[in-house]
Amino acid sequence: MMIEKPGLTLYGLFIVMALLAAAALLLGVAVSSILVLLLIYAALAYSINFITGMIGYVDFGHVLFMAIGSYALATLVSYYGANPLLGVGLGALLGLVFALGIGLVILRFRGVYFAIATVVLVLAAYNIVLQFPQLGAGGEIIVNLTFQPLATYFTIWTIVLIEIVLTYYVNRSRIGFGIRAIRNEEDAASSVGVSPQTLKLTGYMLGGLFGGAGGAVYAWSISGVTAGPAFDFTFSLLMLAMIIIGGVGTSIGPLLGAVVVYIPSYFLLTTVAQAQPLIIGLLVIIMALFLPDGIVGLLRRSDERLRLVLE
Amino acid sequence: MQAKPRRLTKRTTVIIAVVIVAIVIASGGGTYYYINYVAQRPITCTLPSGRDAIKVGFTISLTGTFNVEGAKSLAGIQAAACWINNNGGVTVNGKTYNIVLNYYDDQSSSAQISTLYTKIITQDNAQFLLAPYSSGLTGAAAPLAEQYNLVMLSHGGSSDSIWTKGYKNVFGILSPASTYFNNAVDWLKANHPGDKLAFLHADDSFSAAASGAASKYAVQQGLSVVYNASYPATSQDLSTQLTAAQGAGADDLLGGGHFADGVKIVQQLSPVGWKPKFISLLVAVTEPQFRQQLGDSANLVTGPSQWETTVTYSPATAQTSGIPWYGPTESQFVDYYSKQANAGSPTYHSGEAGAAIIVLADAIQKANSLDSTAVRQTISSLHIMTFFGQFQVDSTGKQSGHSMVLVQWQNGGLVVVAPAIVAASGTVKYPYAGS
Amino acid sequence: MVAAELVVRDLVFGLLLGCVFSVVAHGLNIIWGVVKVVNIAHGEFIMLGAYGAYFLNLFAGLTPLEAAPVDAAIGLLVGYAFYYTFLHRELRDKETITLQSEMVTLAATFGLSLFVSNLAIIFFTGNPVGVNYNPGTLQFGYLRVPLAALYVAILSVLIITGTWLFLERTFIGSTIRAYAQDVTATELVGANPAKVASLATALGFAVTMAGGALLTVWVPVGINPLMGALYAPISFVIVVLGGPGKMWGSLVGGLTLGVVIDLLQAFTTAQIAYAAAFLILIPVLVFRPEGLLK
Repeated sequence: MMIEKPGLTLYGLFIVMALLAAAALLLGVAVSSILVLLLIYAALAYSINFITGMIGYVDFGHVLFMAIGSYALATLVSYYGANPLLGVGLGALLGLVFALGIGLVILRFRGVYFAIATVVLVLAAYNIVLQFPQLGAGGEIIVNLTFQPLATYFTIWTIVLIEIVLTYYVNRSRIGFGIRAIRNEEDAASSVGVSPQTLKLTGYMLGGLFGGAGGAVYAWSISGVTAGPAFDFTFSLLMLAMIIIGGVGTSIGPLLGAVVVYIPSYFLLTTVAQAQPLIIGLLVIIMALFLPDGIVGLLRRSDERLRLVLE
Repeated sequence: MQAKPRRLTKRTTVIIAVVIVAIVIASGGGTYYYINYVAQRPITCTLPSGRDAIKVGFTISLTGTFNVEGAKSLAGIQAAACWINNNGGVTVNGKTYNIVLNYYDDQSSSAQISTLYTKIITQDNAQFLLAPYSSGLTGAAAPLAEQYNLVMLSHGGSSDSIWTKGYKNVFGILSPASTYFNNAVDWLKANHPGDKLAFLHADDSFSAAASGAASKYAVQQGLSVVYNASYPATSQDLSTQLTAAQGAGADDLLGGGHFADGVKIVQQLSPVGWKPKFISLLVAVTEPQFRQQLGDSANLVTGPSQWETTVTYSPATAQTSGIPWYGPTESQFVDYYSKQANAGSPTYHSGEAGAAIIVLADAIQKANSLDSTAVRQTISSLHIMTFFGQFQVDSTGKQSGHSMVLVQWQNGGLVVVAPAIVAASGTVKYPYAGS
Repeated sequence: MVAAELVVRDLVFGLLLGCVFSVVAHGLNIIWGVVKVVNIAHGEFIMLGAYGAYFLNLFAGLTPLEAAPVDAAIGLLVGYAFYYTFLHRELRDKETITLQSEMVTLAATFGLSLFVSNLAIIFFTGNPVGVNYNPGTLQFGYLRVPLAALYVAILSVLIITGTWLFLERTFIGSTIRAYAQDVTATELVGANPAKVASLATALGFAVTMAGGALLTVWVPVGINPLMGALYAPISFVIVVLGGPGKMWGSLVGGLTLGVVIDLLQAFTTAQIAYAAAFLILIPVLVFRPEGLLK
């Protein structure tokens, strides 16, 4: 399955994750509450990386899976009193299932049409959720749980860890070759013995799975879900920005992108609220026009040694 | 996206990196400069020196959908805090403190609430909290008050559901959403019981709560409800719903949402060709901008209000009712508001938010402690009157002592028209005349 | 009004609304059809057009009908700027737009969308504003049609017809159409591809901003910096429904969408009407991806 032995990148990522775990355990609630959102963003970035970064299909509507996960956790915990971990599991499962169903239909569309279809689905889903009073007036469900910051933190930490390993292995394996073939020239890929449809669907389902899981943890951390913000495109845009800035398809890219997007915005948020999306928008424009392979790509191209190490 | 097959020199990389960083700093700095030095800012009042501070933390919507209501609320909070600091401050155990405000813009979005309140609590070390504006955002912020066990006063979130969650630390200043339309329904029952009612509201928890409770109350009172529908917040064209309501034979229209919806509904009545005999809409009606944007078609539209500057609460009223009074009088509050805030004239959002600070200060003094648990217990049993009206909460923290009023635009001015005991000289004018 | 009359009323209003939707989407259609680029920031330029009409109304007392040509002129300049900033590098040496370029422009324009909308929030604040334009109504039996909506619908159709005439009957227009079919061939006959593409882009932006101005009639208090988030997806759906590059497609797509949204609300809730209007895209893409027009 694997082409070579794991490289420095994987070990480097493990070290970063270990540091994040230590930070939560040692530095107290204030720090872990900042970092938990970072991890949620990273989880979402890795999830969109499967479909957009690796396979190249731009999913503007990825927030749909986040919302599915959020509503899954909120309904399960709020109406059935279940353990939030079950809610996360349900969110992941529903994300996977919806991705399968939706993907079978829309993955047949090329490039731009796929992107537009994802947008349309989010808008339709928003309106549909509002139609059901079982999902709360205004789609608002409040989750009343005792405060368990470490439980939330380590749930999302585990999810990100799984995603990192999965991303790394996919990139390194034969599946990775197939995926890169699709990105280069989809029609040629099928003649090499790779089924593009299966690969696309797998990527999309992984995106749905982890997007749902991330969304569920997000609802857990903010104690609820409301229709308007749950289907807000800003999340999709943030996820895309993270992988574009970090480096699409890479193993480090999503985490790096999450750090670059989230940490400064945390400080900017308290000065000018609009500064974060403004600067991110600018960064994305610059990256897209001049550095389409993100920071990781930039570093890889600037130094021979880095090119061998970073992925 | 694939990599362009070009090798970059180290020099180019560094240049690109520097350029990116420079642009980011420039744009960040530029907007920071603009916001802080060019755009209009409310004036903060000078704090009397030599005192320690009691830090009250909150977020408020300075941008986004609720920026109109948020600006009014913030100005009210600042006016109230300023009054307190200039009138003896807050005394605890013989020491005098200033009320210091620690706030951020939540952009009317619940996505920011969690991060910001966590920051306010864990990094800024606020000792007491106010909720954001709107039921939705209050609902998002309340769990954090519980998690960190800090008192939170809700001044802009009235949805009854907030108080069904078993929160110990959240207390409402304002009358709950379910009571918003009671004055209107009562008046209709007393004066036009044969009228048929239509309810049309926005699909968010507050509007749904207010409109839903009102339609049930109307039916209980024996009135006939012929139309009851909601619309998603993103709807731009309500003419279909308005036509349908007219088609159902409705005489009166109640509902709405926040500011933009209210204006939209009134504006679309004329092209639809419907002139309800009585209109009562949430939130929008009490804003001066409502009249500015609608002109004459705003005339005779009514709306529920938590407070107006013309209501008659005063130390004298308090004494007659046997309730303690605390805080500025109406005119003092309005005076401080106009001197300290760059936000037009005060609306009920200003009043309810200002009252939150007043009640908090009084509770702290009565508890004679800065400890959350002590203050929380004091608030639970507090019964006072302020310029905003009475304050008393039930066992869940929901406001029970305060009464709402019904206002109506008459001759270009907002007049309190119900309930009769508070309405100085105003009465409801009926029917609505259109433009 | 009885049910049948309600249906007719909603049909008429749906058509009127649809005309405005058409012109709002038309600019996207032109750019997509000629330069093969999808501008994710399309909604933001509609928003700017709407604000343009608002300020022209506020400071110069112009009605949305009068503001539209002014907005169109501004749109031309903006379009040229947009072309040279975003598209020139990608299109310059290529025969057709590659997948790589497609992704680059998608990403870059999405960044632009974030940037412009948030800049608008800072300068315009989130406070929704509106243009007050009510020249009265026309009575057709039980049907009351606001003249503002009628005028705007007529102007929308005129704009679409005008661009069609321009592309079909003028020399420059045929050069643009040639470019849309085959860039290299156009070069071979002596036209400068950059000039053609930039003109098409400028035209697209002009129509977009004019559309934004006309839209203000239907959003009396809805002009806010984030309105692009609603009208961009609507425009995408319209262009796909009609078929990218087909000029009359905008009208077909726009009318379809307008009618679906308004007519459905006569039978069911607004939420379902909107959901259905958006979901139409999926079956169209599955069964007739080239659009509803032949």
